[in-house]
Amino acid sequence: MLNSTLPRRQFLQSAVAGSALFSGIFQQLLASESASLPSGEPHFTATAKRIIFLFMTGGVSHVDTFDPKPALTRDHGKEIKADHPEIKDRPGYERIYLKRPQWEFAKHGESGTEVSTLFPHVSTCVDDIAMIRSMHTSHSNHYNATLGMHTGSFSFARPSLGAWTSYGLGTLNNNLPSFVVIAPKQTYAGTQVYSNNFLPGAYQGTLVVPGSEPIANITPRVSSDRQQLELSALNAFNQSHLKASSDLELTARIRSFETAFGMQMAVPEAFDFKQETAVTLDSYGLQPGQTTGFGWQCLAARRLVERGVRFVELIDTGSSGNWDAHGDMLSHVSLAKNVDQPIAGLLKDLKQRGLLDDTLVVWTTEFGRTPFNNTADAKGREHHPWAFTSWMAGAGVRPGIVHGATDEHGLRAVENPVHVHDFHATILHLMGFDHEKLTYRHAGRDYRLTDVSGHVVQDILI
Amino acid sequence: MKRTRHEWTTLETVSMKFLALLLMACVAFGLQAELRGDEVLFEAKVRPLLVKHCYTCHSGKRTEGGLSLDTRTGWQVGGDSGPAIVPGKPDDSLLVVAVSGSNPDLKMPPEATGDRLQQQEIETLKQWIANGAFDPRDVAAKREGMSLEEVPDWWAFRPLLPQIPQIEQAGSSEQIDALIDQSLAMQHLTPTSPTDKRTLIRRVTYDLIGLPPTPEEVQAFLNDNSAEAFSKVVDRLLNSPQYGVKWGRHWLDVVRYADTAGENTDRPLPHAWRYRNWVFDAFNRDLPYDQFVQQQIAGDILQENANESAQNAGVIATGYLAIARRFGHDIDKDVHLMQEDVIDNLGKTFLGLTISCARCHDHKYDPISAEDYYALYGIFQSTRFPFPGCEAKGQPRDLVPLIARQAERAIAEAEQQRDTLAKKVQSLISESSIRLSQSKVGEGGSVPLSAEKLDALQRLQVQQGEVLLLKVLPNASHGADTTLIEWEISDADGDRFWSLSSLIPTLLTGNPNVSKHGTWCFVYFTDGQPRFLTGKYPSVEQRSELQSWSTGETPSVLVNNSVHEIPVWTKLPPASFFVHPGPQDPVAIAWVAPVDAVVNIAGRVADAHPSGGDGVSFEFTHITDAEVGKSLLTLGEISPLVDSRSASPVAYAVVEGTPQNVPLQQRGDPEKPGDVVPRRWLSMFGGEMISTDSRSGRTNLAEWITQNPLFARVMVNRIWQGHFGQGLSTTPNDFGSRGNKPTQLELLDWLTAQFQANDYSIKALHRLILHSNAYQRSGHQESTLIEQDSENRYLSRFERRRLTAEEIRDSLLFVAGELDLSVAEGHPFPPEASWKFTQHDPFTAVYESNQRSAYLMVQRQRRHPYLALFDGADPNSSTATRHVTTVPTQALYFYNDPFFHQQAAKFASRLKDLPEDQVRISKIFQALFQRSPTLVEREIADQFISAYPGNFDEKWSALTRVLMASNEFHYLD
Repeated sequence: MLNSTLPRRQFLQSAVAGSALFSGIFQQLLASESASLPSGEPHFTATAKRIIFLFMTGGVSHVDTFDPKPALTRDHGKEIKADHPEIKDRPGYERIYLKRPQWEFAKHGESGTEVSTLFPHVSTCVDDIAMIRSMHTSHSNHYNATLGMHTGSFSFARPSLGAWTSYGLGTLNNNLPSFVVIAPKQTYAGTQVYSNNFLPGAYQGTLVVPGSEPIANITPRVSSDRQQLELSALNAFNQSHLKASSDLELTARIRSFETAFGMQMAVPEAFDFKQETAVTLDSYGLQPGQTTGFGWQCLAARRLVERGVRFVELIDTGSSGNWDAHGDMLSHVSLAKNVDQPIAGLLKDLKQRGLLDDTLVVWTTEFGRTPFNNTADAKGREHHPWAFTSWMAGAGVRPGIVHGATDEHGLRAVENPVHVHDFHATILHLMGFDHEKLTYRHAGRDYRLTDVSGHVVQDILI
Repeated sequence: MKRTRHEWTTLETVSMKFLALLLMACVAFGLQAELRGDEVLFEAKVRPLLVKHCYTCHSGKRTEGGLSLDTRTGWQVGGDSGPAIVPGKPDDSLLVVAVSGSNPDLKMPPEATGDRLQQQEIETLKQWIANGAFDPRDVAAKREGMSLEEVPDWWAFRPLLPQIPQIEQAGSSEQIDALIDQSLAMQHLTPTSPTDKRTLIRRVTYDLIGLPPTPEEVQAFLNDNSAEAFSKVVDRLLNSPQYGVKWGRHWLDVVRYADTAGENTDRPLPHAWRYRNWVFDAFNRDLPYDQFVQQQIAGDILQENANESAQNAGVIATGYLAIARRFGHDIDKDVHLMQEDVIDNLGKTFLGLTISCARCHDHKYDPISAEDYYALYGIFQSTRFPFPGCEAKGQPRDLVPLIARQAERAIAEAEQQRDTLAKKVQSLISESSIRLSQSKVGEGGSVPLSAEKLDALQRLQVQQGEVLLLKVLPNASHGADTTLIEWEISDADGDRFWSLSSLIPTLLTGNPNVSKHGTWCFVYFTDGQPRFLTGKYPSVEQRSELQSWSTGETPSVLVNNSVHEIPVWTKLPPASFFVHPGPQDPVAIAWVAPVDAVVNIAGRVADAHPSGGDGVSFEFTHITDAEVGKSLLTLGEISPLVDSRSASPVAYAVVEGTPQNVPLQQRGDPEKPGDVVPRRWLSMFGGEMISTDSRSGRTNLAEWITQNPLFARVMVNRIWQGHFGQGLSTTPNDFGSRGNKPTQLELLDWLTAQFQANDYSIKALHRLILHSNAYQRSGHQESTLIEQDSENRYLSRFERRRLTAEEIRDSLLFVAGELDLSVAEGHPFPPEASWKFTQHDPFTAVYESNQRSAYLMVQRQRRHPYLALFDGADPNSSTATRHVTTVPTQALYFYNDPFFHQQAAKFASRLKDLPEDQVRISKIFQALFQRSPTLVEREIADQFISAYPGNFDEKWSALTRVLMASNEFHYLD
């Protein structure tokens, strides 16, 4: 739908990306173009204005966290057969046996949704959560599954969910990027998980690395008064260069320097938690002055969405030392502890501020972990693309429900299976987009996040 | 195997007419009256039945099992199990088998979703199929695409338009303007006047070499009032080696060049740079474009009989194919994805065709079938691609050696000789050895050579040419240890004396080490055969006191040639001699007896690195055949030549593999092979078969591509885009039915004809374009005219453009006097032997360099932070056009980036020597914009300098930064 007007579109988008003042001009210019252009106008009324996307790297075991399987405990040690991608032709895996969950489950809240003891804090939020226990994905490798969860493509580099969202919706605050990724380390798919790929560069995620300089070159190298002088001189020279010719691209670039000047204040301000009360910090499990950790990421996410950032992704760990528990499931304990209280703190904080009404919180991982292993007393679990659990909360998501189910051992998603494409279609729907219509023409083809599939999971919508 | 598209289309056309008739008939006479029997059957019974029972899962976008039942093509092609209906044969039709439930694995509709068909309905289906399965439903099959018949009429695929006769002076740039002026007149557009000379030289300098002109070059051009002034500038720039860097970089965008493989660990490609440099060089020497293309597809074969340097260049050129992206954890398992990347890029780059769309199904819009795709696939499957290594399969292999043929012959001979000698020594050792002693040396222990029996080492009779061999072996559970050796041999009846310690200062003089201290050899054993340690290391762990002979790692021999203890992995005592066995391979020192003598032997073997292992063992042997010494020495002489092969340069390139045709992969799934497809050219261009089954067919492919005017059109469009910011077609990688037809088709064809006439000289094409008025227009235009053609499709003005990421960075370095214009080679990757990259710990690096930015190391999985910020090319897929985005994070770069600050400071530091501020201000303007500042600008700069706090360097660096960040620096007018 963007074919013939593409260069103009890019140009306009680039103009607007750098400038608050130009949004008026932008709207005017757009008025003369096709009505279906993504201009910050969704296809229909959106329930979610912004997203916080929580990504747990490495593959969280569903049967040990959010998908209770009493039969798996009962049948522990029983041999099963499965044509599973992770054991196919793998020496030592000729025979496989069910392996029981290592943590107890209990019902929580009014909804009675069961959660294991690994997530005591998130357990207290189940009445706000729609738990999807029937997730499945198309690949059992970290790289492919991670790429798929972020871009809908399991092999080739494509624009990420966050890039699509900011492409579709634009930004709400011109002093901050519309798509921010807070990650201490990179996932298995590197920078591709927040890449714009063939979408214009304005839609790539801006990387925030917790620590002293969260965004590249955000820290002024000269004092503010000097920088002010530089900016004035720059404007004066640029004006002299502009002369009579009015070129929106040049003007947009001039504005981008003013925006960046503002960003140098706005970004540290967003990441400065001094104004937060001790109670708030405590609810995220944060110590005063702490500038790293998942609690810091969660509170930073709230502050960013408050300030108009559209899409915030939080990545808990990198491509090592993560949930990839081949060796010992007990490594889930410290990983869960790292995120549990911060996530619960975030959900409660958003709710208390009324932000949860139009902020979608998504929790997911790249795949689940096998409910079996090659010996019954194996300590770890393998990659499991056939079934895992993700959840959503807020912004038009039905609270306190469980959607879909795996079989009695958690091996396959059997009831209302939700593929990654369906998951994406649902997220886009909540943001006001028909996933089949949010497209971009590239190399002769209209690409979309959900490739050629995807169904909105209506049952989890209010 | 050629798809019978012709028949389909004919049928489709007929059916379309029929449908229209049918509609009219329905309105006019009522349905039954006018229809033939089989039509009645279909419309009245079969269609409703299919809709009721099958469409839920097999229509529109819902194609369970790959099967569509809402079109005739749908069941003809069929799903994963093959065609659903065999017309005339109901019992052989899978559809009937499925609905009748006779096959338990294929019951349709599935019990969960639908009612089973009534017996009556099944009979209807059978009757319909028995009658020939008349089916008029072809609307969806026709799609929006182009048929094979339409190919010769499509603007991009048809022969070049005949030359336009009425305009004279064909072959000159005036023809370009004549064509453009015609269309401007038709649009009632007035072109802008020619731009000023300063703007023009800045424009053309960036456009040809990607760098700004120097103030001197500008002055020379301004002073040159001759008619050839501009031609001289163009010639100078085209002859600059920097031209190839700039235009080669365009090419690298299109071929998605990267310095890493892209699989899960994103391994470095340490040899890919040879292809990158070949591209730069090819542009510089104006290699005709048809040859340029042919070499990249089949250079290894085309140059098979050429001289050595041409042969090597041909091999390197195929780096184009080799740099295809690799996928997954185990590359071999995802080869079909690499092949898709190969075919995708080949189509887009050379033909402007999106061929890879046909991997899973026939192309939706262009007449490219899945068979076409697998016909090309077979050509590349018959080609051996280099293996970059991956987590599952270890280190690189199948790289192509670049070696002088004569040297290779000598090496091959030496290798044969070495193998013979090694076998001979091995058998001499096993047949004529007397063991003098052997022992384990425990962790941290020290054992005398005489461990076993003291008297064996006293008064030992040796004959000239015999050998004493001290072999140190790794123990079972520990790889090896640094092992101290002391070994002295004395003449029992004279005063001759041979000691290992006397070799310490001169260890590296040779292996064999021959001197007055005796003849010694340092060898290791692999599979029982002796091999000389030929790697000479004048320092170890950056300590020049340590020297070693080794294979690169262990096994090795090592000396501490200093009077001090050297702490490295362990403390090495002064003036000492060590050996270090490999995890599997014993290492040995051999002494060759120079004379017949009776000797006494003393010494010890000690574990010099107690580290919790289990020490080593040694065997001390007397080889009593006098032949062995000579054989060993000859072996030592020829070994370095043999081992030199591994140090020879290699290319990341392809060679011929095993010729084969591949089966079509149903729905792109390699697990679902279909019929084997012979290697051949695209059916839309005739579908010619490869000329011989015994080769891959790459030479044919290179020929097919370069005989088609399409390949030249696509390149002409790219070159045009490089000068005007947009191509004559704005979809440079898609000339198919979804691409944009050029607004000036005659111009594209005329330029293509010139390109052909000039033997595909790219430089001649530049000249032709650059000398046109269209290129030399001013960018300033009245706003009403801009509105009239906002996209500037008719070229009434010059379109301002932002510098590319590379141009910005190169300009900063250039102006600062820091740009290193030398030709770069490989990147400082960690040595291959040390690679232990995993998906958990993938390769990642950013290498700083002051050479041109086209040489920056580009990774596939982790974008280069600077190039990503300024819209650099995507190294994962072909970038035909760079987007330009303006985002605040770019502005942050100009506020705070250390590299940017450095370049400004470097420049500013040179302003100190100038006499006064006004001169300094002029100097900045000249260097950055190649013009003098205006009065207003002087005033702004003056005020800035006086208002800005700080010392000279701070003030002038700040002013330089401001101007380096300004729009004028970043835009070409």
